[in-house]
Amino acid sequence: MAQFDLNDDSVVVIIGSGAGGGTLANELAQKGVKSVVLEAGKRFDLGDIENDEWAMFQKISWLDKRYSGGGWHGAVNHPTLPTWLVKGYGGSTIHWAGVALRFKDFEFKTRSTYGEIDGANVEDWPVDLEEMTPWYEKAELKMGVTGKTTGMPHLPWNNGFRVLAEGCRRTGRSDYRSGPMAINSVERDDRPACQQIGFCMQGCAIGAKWSTMYTELPRAEDTGNCEVRTDAMVLKIEHDDQGKANAVVYADKDGNQHRQKARVVCVAGNSIESPRMLLNSASNMFPDGLANSSGQVGKNYMNHTTGGVYAVLPEKVHMYRGTSVAGIVGDEVYHDAGRGFSGGYYLEFLSLGLPFMAAFLEPGNTGWGRSVAGALENYDRMSGVWVLGEDLAQERNAITLHDSEVDQYGLSVPIISKTPHNNDYEMTAHMYETSAQIYEAVGATDVYELPAYPATHNMGTNRMHADPSKGVVNAYGQAHDIDNLFVSDGSQFTSSAACNPTLTIVALAIRQAEYIAQEMNAQNI
Amino acid sequence: MSIRFHRLGKSDEDRMAMSRRMFLMTTTMAGITTNAMLSSAAFAASEVLTEAQSTSLLRMVQDIYPHPDFLHLSHYEAIAMTVMTNAEADADMAKGLTDGLDQIDAKAQELFGVPYAKIEDPDAREGLLRHFQHEGFFQGVRWTAYFGIYDNKDVWPLLGYEGSSAEHGGYIDRGFSDITFVPEGPTLEERMADVQS
Repeated sequence: MAQFDLNDDSVVVIIGSGAGGGTLANELAQKGVKSVVLEAGKRFDLGDIENDEWAMFQKISWLDKRYSGGGWHGAVNHPTLPTWLVKGYGGSTIHWAGVALRFKDFEFKTRSTYGEIDGANVEDWPVDLEEMTPWYEKAELKMGVTGKTTGMPHLPWNNGFRVLAEGCRRTGRSDYRSGPMAINSVERDDRPACQQIGFCMQGCAIGAKWSTMYTELPRAEDTGNCEVRTDAMVLKIEHDDQGKANAVVYADKDGNQHRQKARVVCVAGNSIESPRMLLNSASNMFPDGLANSSGQVGKNYMNHTTGGVYAVLPEKVHMYRGTSVAGIVGDEVYHDAGRGFSGGYYLEFLSLGLPFMAAFLEPGNTGWGRSVAGALENYDRMSGVWVLGEDLAQERNAITLHDSEVDQYGLSVPIISKTPHNNDYEMTAHMYETSAQIYEAVGATDVYELPAYPATHNMGTNRMHADPSKGVVNAYGQAHDIDNLFVSDGSQFTSSAACNPTLTIVALAIRQAEYIAQEMNAQNI
Repeated sequence: MSIRFHRLGKSDEDRMAMSRRMFLMTTTMAGITTNAMLSSAAFAASEVLTEAQSTSLLRMVQDIYPHPDFLHLSHYEAIAMTVMTNAEADADMAKGLTDGLDQIDAKAQELFGVPYAKIEDPDAREGLLRHFQHEGFFQGVRWTAYFGIYDNKDVWPLLGYEGSSAEHGGYIDRGFSDITFVPEGPTLEERMADVQS
């Protein structure tokens, strides 16, 4: 691995090593562009992966102090765990389940499609599906996504998904399959085929699921063009007199501060840390934080409209056997105002192990007693889904900084506020009803409805917009205010769409790498 | 939002099967009365709890996650022991626990005229405990019980969970797709055809 001097001002500094940062680092490295990746967490490898829900939660989660705010149930039931993200080499690509869906065309054009919505701040992206399609294809080839682009078949169906799929068939649905997943169904790209181990969200023990931990990051390091520094928590992005980003200050694991000079800075710390960094980097020239002339940094926080549904079947299912998200139902992903809400939603089969099922069946202080224990006695006869749909941007849903409390780095603790829009309540009711109908069609006796989990899909807090007064970055993730400052993660999303964000983050990172290389060559940045 | 149980209940047939199973369980348990279970020797000795408080604690962990047909008394005793051991090492926790158990008994006397552990109706006992569910001592006991049951590898098989599989080569040859009450999934050929453009 290369080692760059702290005073080397020719490097691109990438903050974060997950889907956005890890991909960007490798794409730049393959083009010969030198970069330093600053990863807040420590270095992990496959040897760290265990098939144990709580052990892995403790090992890899981002557990620095954070507060839940707003009107969602988590403000009460998950007061210090608003999100469920990873701190470490590979970021949340260790934890993600592997669902690799593309946005639908209308989901890039939400303002045009849905119109103005009271209480929401919905806008169109400056890119559309036609523009993104070749980048999605590159992302699918890179990650090894089952489906037409790679020709790799979708995975075999496990018990839990077979139950869901039969319910779909009996209720007249047609769009249900076991992909697209960024999980090898055959050996590919020096990684093995899936062995149906389960525990996908605790990290794939054999590397069948794509993660930057064992693909993009080591490959970038192998080129000699990329240095990944772990245990490097960014405190501040600095700029010169012209307002160009020129250095990043970070703390190492002993708390010692370092200052890495930079030609370009790319922020990819997820939708909480990325806006937090920009806000914490306020200066005399940028008193409201870097890249924040629009006032939109930290606003429009989206994390999908979600819930869980678990059905008890007449016979054993053993849903935990096999991939965690074993199948996807896409029939409800369309916009029809007649349904009482804007946007669509997916049903994704999701198994939880017994420990997590017992913790999330009824989260909070009330989740005990005969009803909960009785439900858990049905654990081996359950099949269930995670329902996720379009979450409308709202300015009040935001990342803000605590006015007195600081974390172990001395940084103000972030408060993550989320209050559902009426659209969310309407959509959630529809999701629960649909899921129940599907499972009842296949003989379910009980159906349990679970509220949202701490958020794994975090988007929108540095959003793209063609108009610099309405968004933070342009169509390449480049800050409107600062040419050599980029946002490279899900915080650049203008809308959430219904689907899991990772494939779009990777596609945008590949596209951004082309743009950065081109602009550096042209000496524009 | 809290858990919602759906409109469809168990069928009569299921209920009858359940009561047959309950009957068999009860029969095999014959002779082990509640009082015999509660006066188990393990709880005579505690540095922080009186015998009455120990009895309440053991009843409480059973009422928090009741699985009379699935778990053994020893599982609950182990949880109560963990709570007591933790309390012995932490004076504040011990005070919170003993005060809390006394409050539960006082409330039981007020509402039912007997100590908590002597209330026979499980619904009434749960209803009583609901008064205390937002208290720190209660949640301390509750989460100890949670980890002692649902994150306990010895208990998992009793609740139908097999856990870690990587060391066995996953579930690919161990029943990941073995149910028979719904149709099988598509064959490899069908899945291949699905991704050919």
